[in-house]
Amino acid sequence: MAAAAMDDLADRYGDRGVTSAFLYTREAHPGENYRHHTSLEVKRANAKALRAHCNLRRRILLDDLDGSAHRAYGSLPNMTWIIGPGGRIFYKAMWTEAQDVESGLLEALAGLAARAVDKESIAPFYSERLAWRPRDDGAFRAGLERTGPQAVSDFYRS
Amino acid sequence: MSSSDHAYNHSYNYSVFDLAREQPVFAEFPNRLHVGERAPDFPFENLADGQTVRLRDLWASGVAILEFGSFT
Repeated sequence: MAAAAMDDLADRYGDRGVTSAFLYTREAHPGENYRHHTSLEVKRANAKALRAHCNLRRRILLDDLDGSAHRAYGSLPNMTWIIGPGGRIFYKAMWTEAQDVESGLLEALAGLAARAVDKESIAPFYSERLAWRPRDDGAFRAGLERTGPQAVSDFYRS
Repeated sequence: MSSSDHAYNHSYNYSVFDLAREQPVFAEFPNRLHVGERAPDFPFENLADGQTVRLRDLWASGVAILEFGSFT
């Protein structure tokens, strides 16, 4: 998870009308130290642990216990979406990679700025691409170990 | 594992990670809720103060970046 880089992104674009939030979902790799959510109290406690561990500066919003929003957006563990004014989806990504998010954000802001000057001069179109993200298997394993031995064994058994 | 544990493991808040269960979710992601479509709106609880925040409030007058995730 690119928490620090995403916080920096939120800080840099906050004065350009960009609102950022971290939407807390189910635990992707539950273990002894951070259990799956059996109540909202457990979910709040785990979210607070994340905030403390990562010094997360963005606002953290909790989905309901059944993951209604998370499931509607695709149920993936660390996706990012950019939504334009009024609710149109501008960007969807299976994983969160800050540079890719910024690329999508800049494209969105440029299009909106051009339309604000002359609505007839520019039109949106649908496109797809394959993005890239760095892999850090050591950091991923350290995260599993922080969660507990069960998280490690569940993942590597899978 | 009891039968009730087995049932719970397949609920939203699973207690045991299972890659085989997650792979179809990744495969399905490109096929649903596309760019250009309207984003679903849901209420969330603000961890800081317990107040309800609707997603639509985040994109009401500007652009919203929504990162989904958890500690684990």
